[in-house]
Formats: sequence, C-alpha cells, structure tokens
Amino acid sequence: MKKIVQKKWFSILFWVVVLAVIWEIAASFVAATKRGPENILPHLYQIIGAAFSTQKVNQTMTASQLVLSSTATTVFRAALGFAIGVVTGFILAFLMKLSGAVEKIAFPYLMLIQMIPILGMAPIILSITGSINVSRIMIAAILTFYPVATNTLEGFKSVEKEKYELMASYAAKKRSLYTKVLIPQCMPYFFTGMKISAPMAITAAILVDTLQGDGGLGCVLSQSLRHAMSIYVFWLIVFFSAFLGIISWKLMGWLEILCTPQKRPSLRKKRPGSSEETLKRKEIKVCTREKSRFGKRFHRAEVSGQ
Amino acid sequence: MLYPVLFGILLIVLWQTKILHAILHTDTFTLPLLGRINGVIADNFSTIMANTGVTVQVALLGLLIGSIAGYLIAVLVVIFPTLGKGALAVTSVFTAIPIVALAPVMNNWTKDTSNVVSVRSAVSKIIVVALVCMANMSINAYRGLTEVKPFSEDLMKALAASRWKMFIKLRIPNSVPYIFTALKVGVPSSIITTIVSEYFAEYLMGIGRQIKENILMAQYAAAWAYIVTACVVGISLYAVLMIIHAIVMKKRAPRS
Repeated sequence: MKKIVQKKWFSILFWVVVLAVIWEIAASFVAATKRGPENILPHLYQIIGAAFSTQKVNQTMTASQLVLSSTATTVFRAALGFAIGVVTGFILAFLMKLSGAVEKIAFPYLMLIQMIPILGMAPIILSITGSINVSRIMIAAILTFYPVATNTLEGFKSVEKEKYELMASYAAKKRSLYTKVLIPQCMPYFFTGMKISAPMAITAAILVDTLQGDGGLGCVLSQSLRHAMSIYVFWLIVFFSAFLGIISWKLMGWLEILCTPQKRPSLRKKRPGSSEETLKRKEIKVCTREKSRFGKRFHRAEVSGQ
Repeated sequence: MLYPVLFGILLIVLWQTKILHAILHTDTFTLPLLGRINGVIADNFSTIMANTGVTVQVALLGLLIGSIAGYLIAVLVVIFPTLGKGALAVTSVFTAIPIVALAPVMNNWTKDTSNVVSVRSAVSKIIVVALVCMANMSINAYRGLTEVKPFSEDLMKALAASRWKMFIKLRIPNSVPYIFTALKVGVPSSIITTIVSEYFAEYLMGIGRQIKENILMAQYAAAWAYIVTACVVGISLYAVLMIIHAIVMKKRAPRS
C-alpha cells in the first residue's frame, strides 16, 4: 500500500480526483441556486454525456464529431506553423552561433519580439495577409520561433570550454565540431523550447479561428458561446483544447526521447553508452592512441638522436 | 551596439519608404506609416493612457497573485513531497491550457462577484493571468527550493539545523534567482494573457479590447497605436524587472 502511495501517478490521480470533487460540489451548488446552470458550471457527467450523445448539434454532426473535425483543421494549421517556427528558430540560433555579427544584430530584436503581443496583433496580421490560413500559420510560427531560438542558443552556449579545447586538440574541422559536440549538446535545450512553444502554437491557432468563421475549434467555440448551438459544445471544446495543449506538450517529450535514445531511462541501465559516456570513452581511446603515437615518435626521435 | 541600431534604422527606412509595404503586399491603410501612428497616439493620449491603466492593473495584480500562489505551492510541495509531486504536475498542466479556453469560462464564473461591470471583468481577467503565472512560478520556485548546493545542505545537517531553520536560511535565499527566472517569463506573458482575455471580457476598456474594437471599425491606425503602446508597456515593465533584479543580485553578491 505504501509503495502505491509513494508513486507519482498516485499523487497525480489524487489531485485530479480532488479537483473533480471540488468541481462537482460547485456544480451542485450552481445547479441549486442559478438559472441556466449549464452556462456557468455543468456537472462533469453532463459534459461527458454530451460527448457521447447522438443528438445532432447542427445539420450534419453530433457534438463530438463536430469537435473532432474542427480539431483536425485547427491542429493541422497549428502544426504547420509550429514546424516552420521550429525550423527558422533553429536556423537563426545556428547562424547566431556561427557568426558574432548576426548574434549582435538579432539578439536584442529577439528580446523585443517577446514583448510584442503577437496574439493581440492577430486581427492586424489577418488584415495584412488577407488570408486567415496564412495569418494563422504565421502567428503560430512567430510564437514558436522565439522560445526555440533562445533555448537553442542557450544550448549552444552551454558547451564547456574543455570540449572546445579537446576538439581543437584533435584539429577537428568546424563541421565536425558542430555535428559531434555542439548540436548533440543543444538538443535538450532545443526540445525544451519546443515543449514551451507547442501549446502556444495551439493557443494561437484557436485564437485566430475565433476571428473569422471558416471552421476550426475557435470558430465553433465562439458560435456556441453566442448560443448558436448547444452550450455543451463550448464545454467540450474547453476541455478538449486543454487536453490538446497537454498532449502537444507531452508529444514533444516523447519526440525528445525518440530522437535522443541515450536519454531513454529504460535503456540507461542496459546500455551504458549514453552520449556523454560514449563521448568520454571515445575521448579516452583517442587520447591513448594519440599518446602512443606521440610516444612512438618521441621514441623514434630518441633513437635517431642516438 | 552599432549593428542593432543600424538594423533598426534600416527597418524604419523600409517602413517609411513603403518598401516594407511592397514586400508584405499591403497598403498604408492597414500598415500605417510611423508618423501617422505617432500622430494618433498624441491625439488620443488620455484615452490610451486610461486603457493602458486598466490593462497594466490587471496584468500586475494577476502576476502578483499568481506568483505568490505559485511560490506557496512550491513551498508546500517541498514540505509534503509525497502528494506534492503530483500537485506540481497538475499545476504545470495549467500552462498548457489555451488562454482562449480559460477566459470565457472565467467570465461565466465571476458573474456574481460584483454588480459593476469593470470590477467583475477585472476579477475574471486577473484569475486567468494568475493561473498562467502560477504554474510557471511554482515550477521554477520548486527548483530553487530543492536545487541547493549539496555541501550547504550537508553543513546545515552537520550543524543539526532544524528543518525550519534550513528552510529560512538555505532554501528560501537559494530560490531568489529562480524567482527572477520565473518573472522574466511571467511579465511578458501576463501582459499578453491580459490582452487576449480582454478580447472575451465584458468590459470595454483595456488595450486588447481597443485593438479589437478599432479593427472591427477598420481604424487600423488607432489599432496600431494600441499595439505600439502594448509593446512600450511590455518593454518598460521588463526593464523595471531587470533593474530590480540587478539591485537584488548586487545585494546578494558575496562581500569581498
């Protein structure tokens, strides 16, 4: 019993249950005192019931069908913007690492971008680009871009001086310095940036949806808030978008494990070859090889001297 | 310092000579020239200031309440680690909830807090901002409270310090830089969160609301004026934070 209590999932479950109980108590209270309780705080079972009900909320679809189909459109747009943002963010960080001038130019502006309320600018970007799809992708990309760029740059900067010295002592080319040391080391930072920005990209996509009616979660959300359809659709979307945000965040964690196998906790024991360790072992190997070569040369020199 | 300034001048020149408009395929109506935006700000200075006041109030109050709550959660997690780990995970989930989903819910929940629209609306916005800031602060504060230097921890143990003493003398001072890390993210995000939740709020004041209203009325120059104001507010609040950070860190620096 004690073992179960100490597990992390148990305490998560505990808090989720606590929150659900609080929600239910509040919902009963609201139901007893207010008119139209479903607008303020419906019972959880009512929301779940709405998800599985077969009643159609508009001409063609039930509530969950509508939510899922609009999710597909929203997520697709968010993902496209996110991918563009990640790639440009990484490239910018790389260029900033590569050249001091680029860093000097770009870094202050990178800080400034953070201050600009991009989400607040959504309507203006919409009117500049003219197309809601382009503006949605653009906003998601800009929001993604900043955390990825700063975190990756931080990762590049976190490389210890000793590693540079070591690579210099091997007379390593700049290219192999990047592929063998810098890029592997910045990977955890890069993924941290992606973890921060994935939920933001989804928020951005939903927000831009609310501006114009062509499907997508945000569009349905605002329709249902205006009582154009069942209010339960609104609650479903609230829960579902929270779920999407969390899933996108988790997904980045899984992607990180997939891309950096040495961090996999299950494999850590079986295979002692984590990147750090293999690097070290290789270093040792190379060091001994170098030493022996030097030794030989030294020996030869001695011999020839005689 | 020279390069960024040159880049900024280049950007302004591109903007003023309408080359930027050509690149973005837009006109001076949707992307007005800088002079026009400045003119709008100067003409409507008092209105803009009133709206800015509403937004800054909400953002700062939300940031304050959220940060204190987040810090308290972190303290509780350190004291009760068994159940706390889960609480931290659940709080961190709040960062992943889109503001767009939170804001309308909060509007519904805070309907009864006051009969005055401005107060009611401010309460709901403050709660949203606080929730967003809380998660960020609790994670950072938890790291600050637990990632103490091993030798200081050993020293405290060797001196038979009570848990309480250890908390006051070691853990809390150690968490100060982490609080600033959280605030550096929290200050800009509190302003952005306020602006976005204003889109959904009842009350018609606030920078976000004005941006939306002006765009609905196709007053793009006025909307740009509010966007510029929002940037200025964000940058100045960040600068204030940096100054406080510098002062606090200077005091904490080891005396020689």
